[in-house]
Amino acid sequence: MKLTHVKVTPFWAGLVLGVGAALVQAYFNVFPPVANGFCMICHPRDFFDWIANRLVGVDWPVSLVSTIYPLMTVVGVVAGAVFAAWRNKELRFRRVNGWWKYVIYGFLSINFGLLLAGCPIRIVLLSAYGSPIGFVGWASVAVGATLMTLIVRWWQRRAVSTGGDAR
Amino acid sequence: MTPTHAIATLILGFVAGYLGQRSRLCFVSGYRDVVLTRDTTLLRGVLAAFGGALLGYVAFGRLGGFLPGFPMLHESIADQALPWVFAVVGGLGLGAVGMLAGGCPFRMHVLASEGRQGALFYLVGFYIGMVFFNIVLTPVFMRLGLPL
Repeated sequence: MKLTHVKVTPFWAGLVLGVGAALVQAYFNVFPPVANGFCMICHPRDFFDWIANRLVGVDWPVSLVSTIYPLMTVVGVVAGAVFAAWRNKELRFRRVNGWWKYVIYGFLSINFGLLLAGCPIRIVLLSAYGSPIGFVGWASVAVGATLMTLIVRWWQRRAVSTGGDAR
Repeated sequence: MTPTHAIATLILGFVAGYLGQRSRLCFVSGYRDVVLTRDTTLLRGVLAAFGGALLGYVAFGRLGGFLPGFPMLHESIADQALPWVFAVVGGLGLGAVGMLAGGCPFRMHVLASEGRQGALFYLVGFYIGMVFFNIVLTPVFMRLGLPL
């Protein structure tokens, strides 16, 4: 069976990600902090700050594990996703309207994420590690996403009923 | 010190990026889908990551893996109140913004890698925000003696 014909479900992707994150901490020294095997807030921050510290001579914070060599998760994710998209003929430029909104979303995401000390994936890993703060963070992410979904749905229904523009 | 951790995270990142692109795995959109369409496909990915990590921590811990303090059920609000506040504020904000953007930071990196312009601009804001946090917020938090 060809690899491209294998259907990858979110369940299996999540399972591999969870086990992999535990594996890299347990046997490949991705520590400290704990439950930090995979994070798309802290690892890109470490990678970015590590490069900036060497290239520009600033003194931006990196986690202890990234002091000598940075965590390369973000490079791997981009390479893996580009490879998967190219292999499945889904690699193409797609335009979007309102690009400035996405700049703001990205700006807010990293700042909320650094306050949370992790991305939604790391918060799940931290919960699996038994951390009560992890569970609180996970619940907060779920509540935040659910509330915003309800707000957007209410806003759009209101716009439809009044004949206005939901944007 | 050998770059074992750097190579390990590079490989795990590659596998996660590949699987994330194929499966549409997202750690924010699952909640949206449940609310809007009662579709639990993406949410099952989140729960599977939790289950897989828990299984991994227990199994690797028994096999001699390095998992200090596991399970860390000893954190209390009395010991460290501020991280709890940061967890609530950061979590609510990240969940809400992720829903508006169309995905968690992992999903947005994957979408940018596919060539989505919106996700590429998201990453522009993401890395500008990182510089902002380093230059503006970190010194403020340090001056106030707040742990980050």
